Amino acid sequence: MDLKEILESIGGAGNAVNTAAALGLGTAGLALAEKGYSDLGDIGERAYAGLAGEGGLAEQLSGMLEFQPYTVTSATGGQFGMTQDPTTGQMTYQMATSPEEQALQQQTLANAGMFFNQAAMPVDQREQDIFQRMRTAMSPEEERQRLEMEQRMAAQGRLGVRTAQFGGTPEQLALAKAQEEARNTAMLNAMQFAGQEQQRQAQLGTGMLSAGYVPQAQLLSALQPGMTAAERQRQSLSEQAGAYGQTYASGLQGLLSSALGQANIAGGVGGNITRAALGGLFG
Amino acid sequence: MAQEIKSITLVAPAFKGINTEDSPLAQDPSFAESADNAIIDKRGRIAARKGLSVLTTDKTELGTGNLRAIKEFRDNLGNTKIFSVGNNKILSGTTVLADETPGSYTITSDNWKIVNFNDNVYFFQRGYEPLVYNNTGGAVVKLSTVAGAAGVVAAMYGNEVLAAYGRLWTADFTTDKSTVYWSDLLIGHDWTGGTSGSINLSKVWPDGFDEIVALAAHNNLLIIFGKHSIVVYEGADSPATMRLVDTIAGVGCVDRDTVQYTGTDVLFLSQTGLRSFGRTVQEKSMPMSSLSGTITTDIIRLIRETGEIFRSVYHPEESFYLITFTNQAITFCFDVRGTLENGAYRVTRWPGTGFTCYGRKDNGDLLIGSRFGIGQYTGYKDNSLPYRFKYFSPELTFGDASKLKFLKRLRPTLVGGSGADAIFTWSYDFGTLFSSAEVGIRSQGRSDFNLSEYPVYSELSGYGISSTGDVDIGEVVVVNKFLGDFTSAPTIGSGGGALLEGDSYFDTAADIFYVYISSAFVDLDTLVPASVGEFSDGELVSRNAINANGSGSTITIGLEADINGHELSIQDINVLALIGKTL
Repeated sequence: MDLKEILESIGGAGNAVNTAAALGLGTAGLALAEKGYSDLGDIGERAYAGLAGEGGLAEQLSGMLEFQPYTVTSATGGQFGMTQDPTTGQMTYQMATSPEEQALQQQTLANAGMFFNQAAMPVDQREQDIFQRMRTAMSPEEERQRLEMEQRMAAQGRLGVRTAQFGGTPEQLALAKAQEEARNTAMLNAMQFAGQEQQRQAQLGTGMLSAGYVPQAQLLSALQPGMTAAERQRQSLSEQAGAYGQTYASGLQGLLSSALGQANIAGGVGGNITRAALGGLFG
Repeated sequence: MAQEIKSITLVAPAFKGINTEDSPLAQDPSFAESADNAIIDKRGRIAARKGLSVLTTDKTELGTGNLRAIKEFRDNLGNTKIFSVGNNKILSGTTVLADETPGSYTITSDNWKIVNFNDNVYFFQRGYEPLVYNNTGGAVVKLSTVAGAAGVVAAMYGNEVLAAYGRLWTADFTTDKSTVYWSDLLIGHDWTGGTSGSINLSKVWPDGFDEIVALAAHNNLLIIFGKHSIVVYEGADSPATMRLVDTIAGVGCVDRDTVQYTGTDVLFLSQTGLRSFGRTVQEKSMPMSSLSGTITTDIIRLIRETGEIFRSVYHPEESFYLITFTNQAITFCFDVRGTLENGAYRVTRWPGTGFTCYGRKDNGDLLIGSRFGIGQYTGYKDNSLPYRFKYFSPELTFGDASKLKFLKRLRPTLVGGSGADAIFTWSYDFGTLFSSAEVGIRSQGRSDFNLSEYPVYSELSGYGISSTGDVDIGEVVVVNKFLGDFTSAPTIGSGGGALLEGDSYFDTAADIFYVYISSAFVDLDTLVPASVGEFSDGELVSRNAINANGSGSTITIGLEADINGHELSIQDINVLALIGKTL
């Protein structure tokens, strides 16, 4: 509510001047008071403008505290960087290992895939392959044993022996059992070996997979010092901005305090005059 | 000038048996050119064999056939039963032959082999399902019908069967001549279960190929006879692990029924004659010598007869091994007491006996099968009929084949032969035209108790030696082992052996009867009769002289006699001959 409205509330609508005039020196004092009042408003505007207005402290601090993109380059050539969309401000981070590391990574990941594929394969065929290889290794000795047995049986005139109890001779049964046990053992070993091999392939795949991400991990590890440096820089800038803001605000505070004093003075003078002029009117 | 009459005594002639292999001129007079229906008796003399005492009175089931096998069944409870085969039947009994052939079982051949095994008796013949009998069942049945029978199939219908080492073993099948099957332990009807089995010898024969003929068990060995070779396995009590220990090439077995056990050896007939397994193993392979070495050619000729049926027996009580060629009606009797210098047994020949099979009972009786049924080797008649004993010496040269001999007199000492007519024959210079003279042997008197008496000398009775004689005239006719007449004391005993206590001889020069006591010949008259004993008639000894004629450089002497109820043996033959000029 401005002074006129105040006066019109006093003297009725459209009677502010009359009221003021009637009040004598009331007008001059009122003008002065109005001026002090208006100054206070200006001071507020100035404070707002100084702190939040365009080019104000907030804007300046905003510029001062804005994120500063940075890049990190590892010792092996890996790089970490970032870009900001000028329109949306969206940040985009790029991380790139060196070509050698990429090749290594591709190779290891490919190997990991290969091992995983192998580990994922059914083991029965592998078991059979291993069993056949074991049998191939065992067969010559078994053949030698069989020939020795045959020779011994022939020397003892027992090649033609057939028994209900043993099938052939006890020795032939023993050899057959031994060979069959060896065969069974080989089969079980083949199964066990194939399982272990599958597990080992999975482990190798895992290892390869892990190894494939080592350059990236190393790059990420290499980021830490860069990020620390950037953070320190950001902290420094933040501290600078804080100091600037405090200083700016202090200056503005002083200015506002001065203006507020001036306005208080004008308002006080005007008030006194008015009280004096309007004292008779209402007195 | 008058020529000296030479006295030659053929002591125990032919006690070495027949010899048809050596030159007649070079032969020892102890051999015989022929010794038919003869044996070598316990005194080492050639003697007539015993006869066939037929036991069978009812042979209806046998018909006109011959018995082909005899076996005495025995079990652990002492049950016994005599089985025989003939006329395509399984028969039992001795006096009455009963048909034991199982129902609906057709037999067309009698070539069975019968063995006792574990309280059963088994019958095996090639191509026929084996049969079995035991006292519990009481009937001969097919093996497959026995409870628990297994594997009784045509493949094991063998011709040879052996009960040994707790099992039955069989071989010689219709189409398989190289495999031996054995049954489960102690179970003769289980051929596929337990520890039963088989062995194929096709890769074992030393000559590359042979056919199994016979099986034998001896000295923990399984002996497998092929036609031309022998293989020997040891450890047959565990057949799965038994192993070959010997092979003999070139010597095989002719027929399964020629194999006999003598306790210390196994006798068998090979293609070249009678052999013993023990000696064959020692000599290996080729028949350097055989037990039939004195009749090799004869026996080979008999063996080569196609389709011959062989039967044999070993009889320890008589100490002989008989091998009969039934189709040719020839039996050779091998005396197994000892061997000659060439390793051969002394052998005699029994022609035309009609014996077709043998079986020895557990009590030692020798059973003989024939067309008459079952008989026993006893007595001195063949089915109540006499048989001809025949002896012919080899050509005798009396030490010089170049000088002419005039046979003047024969004085044989014959033991036994009561009432027989002995025909002595002689010929000269390999001639076949014989002169002959008949000698009637007196009938041996029947001595009644307490009528005939003989002196009992304490010196003789101490040795258990009997003596016979006429006490009234104080003459001793025979002392138990009378060696013959000599002009001086003999140095060899009966049968060519050492002198033994009680051997006696008559000194023709001194006319003294000597008896051998305490390693010296003592004049019997110097002995003092301790008592007068009484006896039934003892051995009959005949010493009849025969006047002979003719002349020649070599002489063959023969003796033929019909054996008709009494034994007969030739103790010696004293020959008086005039030695003439040199031809």
